[in-house]
Amino acid sequence: MSHMTLEQKRTILIVLSILFLVSLLFVQRLEVVRRAEEAGLSEPHVAVPASSRQCVDCHVQSTPGIVSHWEGSTHAVSGVGCLDCHKAADGDVDAFAHFNATIATVVTPKDCSACHIEEAQEFEESHHAAGGNILASLDNFLAETVEGSREPFNPHSPTPGLALNEVNGMASASLGCQQCHGSKVALQATDGGSITVDDLQPDENGQPTNLDAVARIVKDPNGKPLFTSGTWPNTGIGRLNLDGSRGSCSACHSRHDFSPRRARQPENCGKCHLGPDHPQKEIYEESKHGVAYRDLKDDMNLEAKDWVLGEDYSAAPTCATCHMSGHSRNGGDVTHDPRIRISWTNRPPVSALLDTDAHGALVTSTDPAERQALIADTWQAKRTRMQAVCSHCHTPSYVNAFYQQYDDLVILYNEKFAKPGKAIMGALAAENLLTKTQFDEEIEWTWFYLWHHEGRRARHGASMMAPDYTHWHGMYEVAERFYMELIPQARELAEAGGAGGHRVDELISEILARPEHAWFEEGAAAQMEEIRRHMEERYGQNVDGAHTGP
Amino acid sequence: MSEARSSSPSHGTERQSAVIDWFQDRLPIEPDSLRELTNEPVPNHLKRWWFALGGTPAYLFIVQIVTGILLAVYYQPAPETAYESVRYITNEAAYGWLIRGLHKWGATFMIAAVILHQMRVYFTGAYRKPREINWMVGMTLLICTLMLGFTGYCLVYEQLSYWGAAVGANIAGGVPVVGDFMKTMLLGGDGYNEHTLPRFFVLHAAVLPVVLTILVAIHIMIIRLQGVTEYEFADEKDSEKKYFNFFPEHVMSELTIGLVLMVILTALACILPATMGPKADPLVTPEVIKPEWFFYVAFRWLKLFSGTVAIVTTGFIVFIMYVWPFIDDWIRRKTRFKEASVWIGIVAVLLIIALTVWEAAVAH
Repeated sequence: MSHMTLEQKRTILIVLSILFLVSLLFVQRLEVVRRAEEAGLSEPHVAVPASSRQCVDCHVQSTPGIVSHWEGSTHAVSGVGCLDCHKAADGDVDAFAHFNATIATVVTPKDCSACHIEEAQEFEESHHAAGGNILASLDNFLAETVEGSREPFNPHSPTPGLALNEVNGMASASLGCQQCHGSKVALQATDGGSITVDDLQPDENGQPTNLDAVARIVKDPNGKPLFTSGTWPNTGIGRLNLDGSRGSCSACHSRHDFSPRRARQPENCGKCHLGPDHPQKEIYEESKHGVAYRDLKDDMNLEAKDWVLGEDYSAAPTCATCHMSGHSRNGGDVTHDPRIRISWTNRPPVSALLDTDAHGALVTSTDPAERQALIADTWQAKRTRMQAVCSHCHTPSYVNAFYQQYDDLVILYNEKFAKPGKAIMGALAAENLLTKTQFDEEIEWTWFYLWHHEGRRARHGASMMAPDYTHWHGMYEVAERFYMELIPQARELAEAGGAGGHRVDELISEILARPEHAWFEEGAAAQMEEIRRHMEERYGQNVDGAHTGP
Repeated sequence: MSEARSSSPSHGTERQSAVIDWFQDRLPIEPDSLRELTNEPVPNHLKRWWFALGGTPAYLFIVQIVTGILLAVYYQPAPETAYESVRYITNEAAYGWLIRGLHKWGATFMIAAVILHQMRVYFTGAYRKPREINWMVGMTLLICTLMLGFTGYCLVYEQLSYWGAAVGANIAGGVPVVGDFMKTMLLGGDGYNEHTLPRFFVLHAAVLPVVLTILVAIHIMIIRLQGVTEYEFADEKDSEKKYFNFFPEHVMSELTIGLVLMVILTALACILPATMGPKADPLVTPEVIKPEWFFYVAFRWLKLFSGTVAIVTTGFIVFIMYVWPFIDDWIRRKTRFKEASVWIGIVAVLLIIALTVWEAAVAH
């Protein structure tokens, strides 16, 4: 090998030095980008996993929104692509060939549990997962029968512009109840009916065991099974899925970005927890908690990875803070079972303390020994868990005093209105003064309004510190409904009810003779005189509002 | 007017010589020998800027010392205070962000300049006899500089500082025979503990700078003893002067390089300021652990091989680099591959660039 000249070496040196400096610039550039991503200053880089490359290439054209949502997700950053959630086994009833993959449309908690094992387990045990049980309840009777019709019926006159042959009487149930509570997902059957989890009888892997039912599934020309329109789309939290799993993770963790930030915000829960029968969202907004959240949202650190109360934020609590999220006193442990911190159930007509059995069901027995044997998790344990959250901002004496106020309100509602109302309705039914059909008599609507709407508003208002919901939207309306509607309507039914009616009338009289109701029939003249005197002293006004001042 | 006349040039020279005499009475230094000492003739090739890169790391080292002293005014080397003190420097202290940015970019430039200087020395064969010892001093300077970078990175006490230190200590622990001892000495215990951060600080702000200063002095002293390697380019005319003056000519070029560097450093500190990642959390391992860029090559090497193999081979490569002048001498004497070092150098540089870019481009 011949000697190199100094000029040749110089050229080599220049080329290598430039290469080195350019690579250094490149590396520094990547470093700056990476650090900006870590500091949350820029969008993280998303690499589409090879398995989902084809999906993304096509769907970025056909459904760009889905791809864009996914690109903003933690899934995308972590390399979890389309197929990781949508892939299906050949034996799955809703599986179909889609280009080179076998996929399913509906992603169930069973699919999510492939990675999120603990979360799926907690959710499965939660009351949320049992939301689909409404499908055989009074509320559902309202939507399916009172508001709609369980069977399709003929339209009674033409709808111009639409060739309408029949009316789907289940529309209110599908779009109302089931969008929160969850549908029983159904596939179209060749006999014109539908095929649900009840027909398929899936095994523990979610694979159907009833192959006759599988054979009756209607598929489109491409082999894709067809859903019945009333049951899908649906993201109800207690959805009854074809693989036997219950629930829908996207109820709270909206697809396809699965944003933890969104699940932490009250608006997310407000999709369902609002309205006349359980206005938790509005109650929260009225409370000091909600007011603080609106004001201090910027300090809530909603983007934090773990979002631990007392560590990542302490500006204000949201629904998730108190009912689900981790906090500094429990090691940041998040739960997907909101019930484990709730001590009263205010859902039924009469509130009950949430002593639950090994399956999470309310223990209803009144026998102390039997209760003790059955209870796996006491209401006190649940309350202690909630109080651990409260204790981040409130002293123990403050928290205990609040719970005393809350207990007092629930017990007042129970004892003064709920138990008597329930007793009167029970007596009317026992004496056959009511038909077996619900909601065909005025008093049934009255009673439903009393406990299901107004009674819950009062109790929920008390549970979350919303005075107006506790009083004007709650107890005030409960009282009005009780004295001005329930009692007169019950008396009227009793009057026409012969001997049985007499017994009901005696019960009503016994209830109204109780000290807390005595004012209604005996009057409260002395108290009214006292109020009149006070008003006069304070405002120079008469109790009826007549101005008596100068 | 008479006063103005009294300050005539001749009178001034007299006064100047009186001052010099006063000093010479007390310090026995002759002006001529001082001029000789500082004004060594510099070979002509040093007019080419890439030959002046040896002075650049020295200049950047001074920048690092000055900015480092300023940072040390506020920095508190304890796990519970370190991150907050860096945050204070970055966000609250007057010009703290600029000083920290200069220090950060100064470090990057210093390492880059050392590497470029070493490449120049290598490809021009300036390490050959009689300069083998100075090459080895230079290698030690390189390692000291890298150690300074590593310990400095650990001081911020952000997540990557902490986990970088943990990984670094584990690598030290992986060295056969003495690994455990090295790791214990580095961390001040079996694992990262409250004594670790002060150790890194003492290494970064006291031990390594002193070692580096002494080595730089030796490096320059040897250069002065041996003279700079002389090169002649083909386009130089024989009739031209072969040397130029160190002072002021060469000092001027070094000063120019220094000022240009200062402008670039300030611009970078403003455009891409030193940021802060999340605070170190010993309980949470970050998804992506990366050292500073100058360790990317070693980090990628570690990932390519099993722990011990990678550590032993890295040690072997460093050893080869140390004794390269002797290996090169042997190759040149015993084989016909007289320019083997150039080709090996090209492959090595390309490999280093490739591994560095590879590590930078991928998350894991």
